[in-house]
Amino acid sequence: MTENNHRQLLEVQGLTRRFPGVLALNQVDFDVRAGEVHALVGENGAGKSTMINILAGVLQPSGGTVLLDGLPVVFHNPANAQHAGISVIFQEFNLVPHLSVAENIFINRELTRKGMIDWTTMNQRSTSALKRLEIDIDPRVPVSSLSVAQQQLVEIARALAFDARVIVMDEPTAALSEKEVDRLLEIVRSLAKEGVGVIYVSHKLEEVFRVADRVTILRDGTHILTDQASNLDEEKVIYAMVGRALVHGKCPDRNIGEVVLKVKNLDVEDTVRNVSFELRSGEVLGLAGLMGSGATEVVEALFGLRNARAEEIVLQGSTLAIDNPRNAIYSRLGYVPNDRKKAGLLPDLSVKHNISIGILERLRRAFWIDGKKENESAETYRDKLNVRCSSLDQRISNLSGGNQQKVMLSRALAEDCKVLLLAEPTRGVDVGAKAEIYSLIDSLVDSGMAVLLQSSELPEIIRLANRVVVFSSGQSRGEITGSNLTQESVMALATRV
Amino acid sequence: MKNTLSKIWKSYNIAVIVFIVAIVLGILSPRFLSLDNLLNVMTNASLVAIVGLGMTLAIASGNFDLSVGATAAFAGCISFSLVPTIGVPASMVAGLAAGAVIGFVNGLIITELRVPAFIATLAMLTIVRGLTLIYTDGKDLYLFGQTNYKVLSGEYLLGIPTPIWLAVGICLLLSFVIGQTRFGRHTLALGSNLPAAKRSGIPTSRVLWIIFSIVGATAALSGMIISSQVLTANGRLATGLELSAIAVVVLGGTPLSGGQASMLGTLLGALLISMINNGLNLLNVPIFYQELTVGVLMLVALAVNINKGFDVRSLIRRHA
Repeated sequence: MTENNHRQLLEVQGLTRRFPGVLALNQVDFDVRAGEVHALVGENGAGKSTMINILAGVLQPSGGTVLLDGLPVVFHNPANAQHAGISVIFQEFNLVPHLSVAENIFINRELTRKGMIDWTTMNQRSTSALKRLEIDIDPRVPVSSLSVAQQQLVEIARALAFDARVIVMDEPTAALSEKEVDRLLEIVRSLAKEGVGVIYVSHKLEEVFRVADRVTILRDGTHILTDQASNLDEEKVIYAMVGRALVHGKCPDRNIGEVVLKVKNLDVEDTVRNVSFELRSGEVLGLAGLMGSGATEVVEALFGLRNARAEEIVLQGSTLAIDNPRNAIYSRLGYVPNDRKKAGLLPDLSVKHNISIGILERLRRAFWIDGKKENESAETYRDKLNVRCSSLDQRISNLSGGNQQKVMLSRALAEDCKVLLLAEPTRGVDVGAKAEIYSLIDSLVDSGMAVLLQSSELPEIIRLANRVVVFSSGQSRGEITGSNLTQESVMALATRV
Repeated sequence: MKNTLSKIWKSYNIAVIVFIVAIVLGILSPRFLSLDNLLNVMTNASLVAIVGLGMTLAIASGNFDLSVGATAAFAGCISFSLVPTIGVPASMVAGLAAGAVIGFVNGLIITELRVPAFIATLAMLTIVRGLTLIYTDGKDLYLFGQTNYKVLSGEYLLGIPTPIWLAVGICLLLSFVIGQTRFGRHTLALGSNLPAAKRSGIPTSRVLWIIFSIVGATAALSGMIISSQVLTANGRLATGLELSAIAVVVLGGTPLSGGQASMLGTLLGALLISMINNGLNLLNVPIFYQELTVGVLMLVALAVNINKGFDVRSLIRRHA
């Protein structure tokens, strides 16, 4: 590393941002140097997004200064920030799906020759930006034909083509498989080596420690600490993030009862073949597998969201038709979808209305909804699941990810389900809420609920499930229970082809 | 104080605009605030408001209906043509039913053929106009000696014309439906997030059919009122009604993105447009300039309404 690599590239001093009624950032200091990866961690609502949005020019600070190369700068809009060499890769990509990779890389600054788009140069320069990342994508294909991981790389290539000096990545691995994560982290390291300052925002501490030189922790809008990653460990970081230690490890003893759900020879579309398993009351059965293994599809098929056939599916003694979600709910199957935003939340509706949407028939009086009953039911679940909201009439989109997820669980529980299908139940949820959701699942299972858990996070499977069926390429590869159940044993089956 | 004012503005901004415009027009032309003129303004507002209230449901569900003008003409003509054989009350019911059926077909096209509402109802607009012209052979239909059809537009109850009663009644009814019933909640859920609505067990297709049937019925009612005003119906009736209906809904604060609905807002939106039209008339603004003015005013009102959380100072700062 040269002397030059240690200079402060981007720095914020006393950064403050007020929203009506909330102090999202309070006098925060933060900096990133050329050639380093600086991880920014904190629970949802800690102020990370606000900070990113200020750096991206989307939000304006209420106080404090942003310094670039030691000189104060103000970004009035995202274009300002981009011209200054700051590239932000948001969790929801800013790619136009129908346009080609090259068009996306050069969007808003297309190269022209004599007033016409210069395709040859654009494609060449895209190829070279992609080459720098050592990836082989044809710049002429539309972005929609790429996998999520490839799209992410296109975003990075765009940042490189912009000659970005600072790249901010917001939860870059949220939708990636383990192998893709490895690849991405390598790329992040090599970007830093080339002198880019990377701000890496993530919930996943394991990644943070693999990639970051320094770590800064925010909590409730305030700066808690900044230190070399080598001086920290997961326990310390978690403690600083949530102000308390987190439980992990294996699931507690389960009190397992009768078989409630029996699935025999389930086929789903062209992806899953001949899957059979049984689920008992009082147990958590984990469905593990890498992305594309078929575990997700099995859960969705049971809830009637896929084109599927089975020799036999019996739920509490009667045959379950799996043709639509209404039947599933009617048969006492509850479902928490893996993509809360796309398939779960009703963003314009209140917390209360989000909880009660599936049980309006039961809350009916004459031909209208009994407001008192609806309130009571919503209050019950708010208290039971410890949903933190200023009022039940608050719009759900204003809640944190963890609280939104608790509302999704409330909706399924309000429907009085006997079997709960959980897909990625803690995706996009902060560490504190994660612990709460785990102990909630524990107590539900204690009272006799049967849970089918699909998760791509192995520690989550190990923490919750007492039995795991492992999938790869659309088939179940075996079942693991008891002391054999470890991340290693699950991984061994999951990677078998 | 500043906070209270901005709060009032945010929740009732369309009401505030209506109030201010009424005062301004009242000052400019004293005749504007006369009882007769106000009733006239409100009657005209009701014609658009009734179909706008139905449209509010469609927009709240994340859809909209471009076929309402054609449906209004179709229902007016069907109803008029049936008066000699089945009498006035039954012919009105027939007109409403015709509108509901067209709406239902719109719903079927959207859910079963998976055609987006925009295209489906645009096609229906043309189809229904065509059907009406075929049915009437392009001629005007008159009601000779059947003046009791005038009950829809000419009668007064407690000194207030029927269309106003109908508009206010439908507004109250649909406000209740959207706020307090299962169907209303389902409508909002559809507009807020369709995949999520499906996953919460809502029979989304059925809900959509009902929504579009209601829109069709409100369009039919508007069409029959317009026909009854002049005791004439024809295939060119209510041309462009779909656009005014959508405009009053958005003016009233119901976002085009769905998931929210304000029936009262729609009613006030219709009132605002009607007031401006009427005021310009009283001020002897030539008709071509009226069109221009209404368009510009609508743009301003919409911009203000859509950006109601909008901080003017930030705009100034950004461009300073």
